[in-house]
Amino acid sequence: MQSGPAADPSATGFRRRAARFRAAVVVTSVAVVLAAIAGAGCSNSPYTPQEMQGKVQFRTIGADPKSLDPSFSYTVDEALIVDLIYPTFYKYHYLKRDPFVLELNLGAKEPVKTAWPVTIKEKDGKTRTVQGERYSFTLKNDLRFQDDPCFPDGKGRHITAKDVVYSFKRMADPSVQCPVAPYFADKIVGWPEYSEAFEKAKEKNYDKEMEGVQLDPKDPYTFHVILNQPYPQLRYLMAMHFTAPQAREAVEYYKDEYPRHPVGCGPYYLSDYQPKQRLVLTVNPNRHKDVYPSIGMPGDAEAGLLADAGKQLPLTEKIVFNIIRESTSSWNLFTQGYLDAAGVNNNNFQQVFTASNALSPELEKKGVSLRKETEMCVYYFAFNMNDPVYGGLSEKNKKLRQAISLSINADEYIQLLKQGNASPAEWVLPPGVFGYDPSFQNPYRRFDPQLTRAKKLLAEAGYPDGVDPKTGEKLTLYYDNTATNAAGRQSVGIVSRMIERLGIKVVSRPSLPDQFQAKLLKGQHQFIFYGWYADYPDPENFVFLLYGPNKRPGPNSANYANPEYDRLFEQMRAMDDGPAREEVIRKMRAVSVEDCAWIPVIHNVAVSLTYDWVKNVKAHPLASDAAQYRNIDVDLRQSRQRAWNKPNFVPLVVLAAIIVVGSLPAVAVVRQRVNRRVRRADAGGEGDDS
Amino acid sequence: MLRYVIRRILLAIPTLIGVLLLTFFLFFGLKNPEVIARQNLGKNPTQAQIQQWLADHGYDKPLAEQLKRSTVDMLLFNFGQSDTTGEEIKERIKKGAGPSLTIQAIIFATGLTIAILIAVLVAYFRGTYVDRFGTLLTVVLISIVYVTYIIGLQYYLGKRLQYGPVWGFNREAGLAKFILIPVVIGVVAGIGASIRLYRTFLLDEINQDYVRTARAKGVPEGTVLLRHVLKNAMIPILTTTVATIPTLILGGLLLENFFGIPGLGGYLIDAITNLDFAVVRAMVFLGTLLTLIGYILTDIAYALVDPRVRLE
Repeated sequence: MQSGPAADPSATGFRRRAARFRAAVVVTSVAVVLAAIAGAGCSNSPYTPQEMQGKVQFRTIGADPKSLDPSFSYTVDEALIVDLIYPTFYKYHYLKRDPFVLELNLGAKEPVKTAWPVTIKEKDGKTRTVQGERYSFTLKNDLRFQDDPCFPDGKGRHITAKDVVYSFKRMADPSVQCPVAPYFADKIVGWPEYSEAFEKAKEKNYDKEMEGVQLDPKDPYTFHVILNQPYPQLRYLMAMHFTAPQAREAVEYYKDEYPRHPVGCGPYYLSDYQPKQRLVLTVNPNRHKDVYPSIGMPGDAEAGLLADAGKQLPLTEKIVFNIIRESTSSWNLFTQGYLDAAGVNNNNFQQVFTASNALSPELEKKGVSLRKETEMCVYYFAFNMNDPVYGGLSEKNKKLRQAISLSINADEYIQLLKQGNASPAEWVLPPGVFGYDPSFQNPYRRFDPQLTRAKKLLAEAGYPDGVDPKTGEKLTLYYDNTATNAAGRQSVGIVSRMIERLGIKVVSRPSLPDQFQAKLLKGQHQFIFYGWYADYPDPENFVFLLYGPNKRPGPNSANYANPEYDRLFEQMRAMDDGPAREEVIRKMRAVSVEDCAWIPVIHNVAVSLTYDWVKNVKAHPLASDAAQYRNIDVDLRQSRQRAWNKPNFVPLVVLAAIIVVGSLPAVAVVRQRVNRRVRRADAGGEGDDS
Repeated sequence: MLRYVIRRILLAIPTLIGVLLLTFFLFFGLKNPEVIARQNLGKNPTQAQIQQWLADHGYDKPLAEQLKRSTVDMLLFNFGQSDTTGEEIKERIKKGAGPSLTIQAIIFATGLTIAILIAVLVAYFRGTYVDRFGTLLTVVLISIVYVTYIIGLQYYLGKRLQYGPVWGFNREAGLAKFILIPVVIGVVAGIGASIRLYRTFLLDEINQDYVRTARAKGVPEGTVLLRHVLKNAMIPILTTTVATIPTLILGGLLLENFFGIPGLGGYLIDAITNLDFAVVRAMVFLGTLLTLIGYILTDIAYALVDPRVRLE
């Protein structure tokens, strides 16, 4: 018998080729696997080795900052960056609380206040003189801007009072769209005229002086702010980045790119910005001298918050802000140890908390600590007081609003929509603000499941069981909102069902944010949910939300106006903190609670997670410059990162084995086919095997 | 052929202008410029601020003039500045195209190669358990939603097995490792459909007369498949893939968001939510242009690989 295959030359050729092919496949797969291992072997860290070994903070923000222009930026994420680049006259003491303490930062000494007569021109051309105030601010004389190409030779220029005056002028420029400009517009002398001139002029004339913000003719580091009314809150505005010194050269050099090229004098400067990816702050060699505080609150020393007392700030050389849009990605990075801190959201809630709302033991083992801080904010429902059905100060409509207020259960709201992380609000003021009274209980926020009192009030308002006797139909409440996604609709639904227990029909009117704002502006809303975060810890910054003249387009979205409340407000805003001011606030509270234009619901609680290698962590509800006080135990972080990030190649090997074993029968099929062909060829048959 | 290409390019111009007009009218038909201004200004802007904004961005001019200006500017590639952030759109596109292209081109090339190889393999073993198992696997691959691949593989390959960073795109730390997991995801997510399609193309060819002739002459099955069948099946494969090549620079929204790739994916969608007409206009124009280029390239490629096709 012939040894068949060997006798057929073409079959031998195929075998040789098949062998070569097989060898090639094996070599390629081995190469691919090796390449994968090599690729994986070089660490899964998103940072360079230098960044990993240095004193660098790894943080995250959820989106690209829209603007880092200190005259415009107004979001929490942006402030984390802007406030480190643009320091202000005052800053909040990092550790002191109750009350929050302002201390001099760029300021050389406390401002000097003098009584100042101000002449006001009335519309009819007549003039009258009122008692105003002049504040004189003096800056330190050794401040410099960061080095930047906008300066001659690229070296940071000396800072004088002119640079702060320039920031005031920018705020008055309508094209800059400064969000706090309205705070100043009616108080700083000459502001409206200055602002108007900008609108009219084609060329922007920043050389022109503003009457109410003047340079001192003798001292280049002093400037004066002249106000037509007492305005003690000016102190706080001097701690907001809007009043930080800005270099006119930088604004004019970068033009439209200025929002992405900040030039300041803070502890850090922006050294790298890759949109959609990362933003890096590096310590500024021209920063002014500043040290970590040596006095804190009782307990701070025990908590290790004074370990770095007296050390030169900032304590880390770099901060990397990773711009991570998907919370899944940032959560994965955090658990690998590549982010120092994380927030808690609906995505990771289950992994963070145990059933009893404590930190999960897994995270605790990794050195994570959980912080809950009540934010200085208030969330509320507001009626449009200009609405014919629900608005107005008539006794009947007051009772209608009070009844609805009584139907909204804050505890249920907090459990269902905030996972327990909020405290119920009784009035406008949140904890931490002067005038907040923890013992106060709003009589129209006491929920009882039977709704006895609410139903009684509703009947007294003329709508027994929620039915309008004129039409014989259920009374309708239009709930204007921006809930266009599932989560938003769910929350609208929960609140609507609470109110509907009264018998009233609630109709949701969702619209896009821009249309919602337009609706509010035109006063076409009936019932809305809104929130407010403090700019500064003075009660004025909250109670002004109900001040009549602040109606839309101002911040009073309820369009509430009660002459008694307005009179008390005007009295209160210029007072110093003390029992007298507290008494006035109490009266304002009594008036507004009875009128019930607002239904205060919650004060939010921010939940955050931090690893133990981050030192000096203490949340401040107002200051955003905390990062300069943070310290990093780099060795601890690196050893943890190494331990947590060891690649596991077992599944890869298993996969390869499955492929090899799985393809064995296929190889057999190939063999069989070739052999069959050869046998048939021997027998003189056809070679078709289809 | 040259004449054909020139004719196609000339024909593309009215298409482009048509798309620009359509974008313009759709956008301004749905949104009043004042609403756009309000969205882009801070909270509670004054009427003066709104007017100022409209003037700054040229939205206060008569509609006909705006239309003419925006169409001409686009055709001259003067994309201008974003309405929301004021940044140069052209710069942003230049910056983002690189990272998007890096990821997408590797996914495209790897995916195409692997899909063709597997399709050949499956076609070779047609009717056997390899084919049946392959069909089952591809159907499973097709049925899974894209986000599932991203979240699942990011978690498993990145976080559990630690094969690469779960997020990032840092040139200084070495790009290769950042590309690994997104590419695996892109390839796995897209490969099921391709294999199914290419297998059909291959089987269509296998039943042709010339294949029977080759076999009759005693050419081994492997050679028949690789040398004759694959070459001819490349024609439909080319027509389905070449058109997508130019659009690779536009990137992928989800992959880029999850992995922090600073590309162009999502640039258009963000612009739509921000009512940033300048960016919407530029990106729609760019997308149309690239798609048109893709189709012209397909036709040329078609003529090059198929001697029966003549472009006249």
